[in-house]
Amino acid sequence: MKVFSKVLAALVIGTVLGLCLTWFAVVRGSMPGGVSDGPWKTNLLIGNTGGDMATRASVAVHGLLALNRSETVYYTTGTDSAGNKLDGACTYRIAGRDPATRWWSITAYAADDYLIPNPAHRYSVSKTSVVHEADGTFIATVSPKPAPQNWIATVGARYSLTLRLYNPDPAVVRDPAHATLPSIVKERCP
Amino acid sequence: MKTLEWIGWIVLTLVIAFAVHVASVRYLPNAIMHIAMNKMGTANQMHHAKRPDETSRGVVRPSPDLLYSACPFDLSKGTLEVQAPVPPNTYWSVSAFDSETNNFFALNDKQIGGQPLELLLLPPHGGQEPAMHIAGQLVVRAPTQHGLVLFRTLINDEKNFAKIDAVRRQATCALSGAPRKGTSRGG
Repeated sequence: MKVFSKVLAALVIGTVLGLCLTWFAVVRGSMPGGVSDGPWKTNLLIGNTGGDMATRASVAVHGLLALNRSETVYYTTGTDSAGNKLDGACTYRIAGRDPATRWWSITAYAADDYLIPNPAHRYSVSKTSVVHEADGTFIATVSPKPAPQNWIATVGARYSLTLRLYNPDPAVVRDPAHATLPSIVKERCP
Repeated sequence: MKTLEWIGWIVLTLVIAFAVHVASVRYLPNAIMHIAMNKMGTANQMHHAKRPDETSRGVVRPSPDLLYSACPFDLSKGTLEVQAPVPPNTYWSVSAFDSETNNFFALNDKQIGGQPLELLLLPPHGGQEPAMHIAGQLVVRAPTQHGLVLFRTLINDEKNFAKIDAVRRQATCALSGAPRKGTSRGG
């Protein structure tokens, strides 16, 4: 009976330890193959076939059903260009030129990885919806209060942004760490 | 003696922890894919998801500018036939993922060159090899029996939303010889 309870204890503790290890290594941990371009981060392994067991698990958790990078490059950030965490109560200005790609979009996601509820349905700006400045650049506003144009709505909580580049130019596919991407600057907080 | 016994129990616990860790990493993609496929609905039928908004909970981080249609497949009873028209003047792609989440096939509107999609997805082992390759028909062998075919269609102009949505809802999938069914077709 004593041996039985010891085996049971080893099984329970071992299982919990093993699952914790997986949680921290794969689910919470950052993926191998990550590169940065300013605040924007992407992963060279997303959409790849094969790879080792740990990489595949990581891709399944962080990039389920994502396409490989010749089809789409996905950049994500939880910080502004100064490296500070994005705060849904603050106003940010995203400015730059259209990235070198057939089509692009910038979308805000809540901490649960789903779209942020807002009555105006302003979840994103894209190459086709954005209003450009006279010099060809664009300025988008990410804030809880409506902006006159190129507005992405947030609520007063942490969030992250995804920049999608569909059919990116070959230079971006080759070297996603050195693409020309928009900057994210905090303008004000309440 | 007591110390040795304790070391034995600790080693056993660590061996179990390692085995559980390896097994959970190995099968995590299968579990994630299984859940995603179940959320989408019946196998071997096309499911046209509504335009993503804040209530969408199918897959994490959906794009609100894309329309997604998905066909979870089960090739245990044969070959899957997938057919779809390609909406003009916008980004469109079809991709296929195996039960371990690997993307084993992808094709976009530029690559297909204006032709409608005619895709035959063969089971991993055996199954019927097509006697001939009919012009314009793609034949792909799936690495696993279960998986998912996913269509993405870009809404590149809000004014054309109804038109783009109507075209992407014409995509169908069915096992060879089975009647073609789709959910929310024309809706």
